[in-house]
Amino acid sequence: MKAFVLAEHTDAARGLCAAARTVADDVTLVAIGDVAVPESCADEVAKIALPEGNAVENAAETVCALADEEAPEVVFAEPTRRLKIVAGRLAAHLGASVITDVTALNDGVAESMYFGGLANRKMKAVGKAVYTMTCANYAEAPASGANAVKEVAWVEPANAVKVVSREPIVKSGIDLTKADVVVSAGRGFAEEEQLDIARALCDKLGAGLGCTRPLTEGVDWLPRETYIGVSGLTISPKVYIAAGVSGQMQHMVGCNTAGTIFAINTDKNAPIFKQCDYGIVGDLKTVLPAITEAL
Amino acid sequence: MKIVVAVKVVPDDQDIQVAANRELDYSKAHQIISTYDLNAIEAAAQLAAAHGATVTAVAVGSAAIDDSKLKKNILSRGVDDLVMVADDSCANLDAHATAAALAAKINEIDDVALVLCGDGSADNYAQQVDVQLACALGWPVVNAATNIEATDSTATVKRTLEDEVETVEVSLPAVISVTPDIAIPRIPGMKDILAAGKKPMNMAAAPEVPAETIEVIECLAPEAADRLGNVAEASAEGAIDNFVAALKAAL
Ligand SMILES: Cc1cc2nc3c(=O)[nH]c(=O)nc-3n(C[C@H](O)[C@H](O)[C@H](O)COP(=O)(O)OP(=O)(O)OC[C@H]3O[C@@H](n4cnc5c(N)ncnc54)[C@H](O)[C@@H]3O)c2cc1C
Repeated sequence: MKAFVLAEHTDAARGLCAAARTVADDVTLVAIGDVAVPESCADEVAKIALPEGNAVENAAETVCALADEEAPEVVFAEPTRRLKIVAGRLAAHLGASVITDVTALNDGVAESMYFGGLANRKMKAVGKAVYTMTCANYAEAPASGANAVKEVAWVEPANAVKVVSREPIVKSGIDLTKADVVVSAGRGFAEEEQLDIARALCDKLGAGLGCTRPLTEGVDWLPRETYIGVSGLTISPKVYIAAGVSGQMQHMVGCNTAGTIFAINTDKNAPIFKQCDYGIVGDLKTVLPAITEAL
Repeated sequence: MKIVVAVKVVPDDQDIQVAANRELDYSKAHQIISTYDLNAIEAAAQLAAAHGATVTAVAVGSAAIDDSKLKKNILSRGVDDLVMVADDSCANLDAHATAAALAAKINEIDDVALVLCGDGSADNYAQQVDVQLACALGWPVVNAATNIEATDSTATVKRTLEDEVETVEVSLPAVISVTPDIAIPRIPGMKDILAAGKKPMNMAAAPEVPAETIEVIECLAPEAADRLGNVAEASAEGAIDNFVAALKAAL
């Protein structure tokens, strides 16, 4: 069986090639633009050079043409915004739908979250299978192959997206996946300055400061890379302290494997209290400083 | 110029129950606008206001989405008219079929310059209808839009990707999906809701939809992790001390 792998980052390319290798005996890494190709990861590396000014997605037609030629049964794509478009166009071309954000894949049965983690759904592609998934489950799996290079001829896109400019996003460098203790702030924080009392608790505990998605959207109180949940980070710290967080599933799936969960909320009926080990019903403005003080 | 906004109607997840066999029970859940489609509607309304354009909302789903409160809600947000397909042949469509159904209805509307989609639906969050719809219509697509500037023939879109902000240009008509921070949804007032009842609601015939491309085998709530659930009022004697002691023990 033939598999295609689409990736923007080298780690993902390696991991997804390893994933592809578990189901396919013939793996082609489709490398669009200037992706650094990992060593010995695929049988074939199909290189698509991006003409100047072209968005990465403009390579979709070229990828479809390559698929017509090589007839992959299965496609693995890294879940980036751009590749969701490329994978989507390829799926449309193949008469398929992408099964997205796959968390486990066994015998052609893909698992993925439904309603933000309220349920897990097991799905099977009816025809050709196109998946997006991270390489998290395949970090240790071996990728292999001769990496035979093939230069793919550019197919002019019918509906081109022209890149006018690009500006890197300056990242905070915070990596909460490595933190033992995470304090997480929700909309219970009424204003940005109030976050200082969460920061004071973090300092005392040597904790990282995370948050719910609304604190990074519309308002820019905290960096996007620190929000936890189905569309953000999945973390498993020893201790998770949620303050002013209601405990919606979309958030909790990102932290519900934490060792011990602590919660502070004014609403005794907040869903978080059914999902925590220790809870305080109270105002974070007074409770957080009291905790910091008592530590 | 006409702007179409694609709106998904979903059961309110706040009211979805987990049955004893871990299946989801929707019987108590109202039909609501999928959260992030509210932002797409608002973005469409703001763009339309800036360009003297009109907004048509298009929604495709099961017979249950034909709900008068919901339809008024959609129309109370700066939307001029609604085209809705509410037919059980359109229940739980995958991205490929949803796009085909939406495209069939959008192709019946004249003068469409832009179709806006939300960031992802509350149920699937697959972020695939935008691209499949663009394929079905034969139009360009841009996702992750945080700002859109349109002329009669082009759109300049700022998109916030994982590592960079990219500004791109596409010719119109185009499909653009927007992130929630593009526009904060308005809170419709009584006047808006009353006016909404008088706006055109076109209950359209179900189009032919392609066969399903994804077979759902099972959909079960995860086993709930056992948590202690030791909750106390802040004012209760020793509450903070006990909390802190537990916290220290857990470190
Ligand atoms: C498709 C989709 C994907 C999503 N992905 C994510 C995701 O990945 N991560 C995420 O976090 N969210 C996500 N969301 C949003 C999610 O559904 C919730 O809206 C969000 O998690 C709620 O954030 P919150 O708990 O901070 O705010 P709210 O739900 O508004 O809760 C605020 C809480 O603070 C409490 N409170 C208020 N004042 C105080 C006070 N003074 N002291 C103590 N407590 C107080 C309130 O009682 C309330 O419980 C997603 C939504 C959708 C539709």
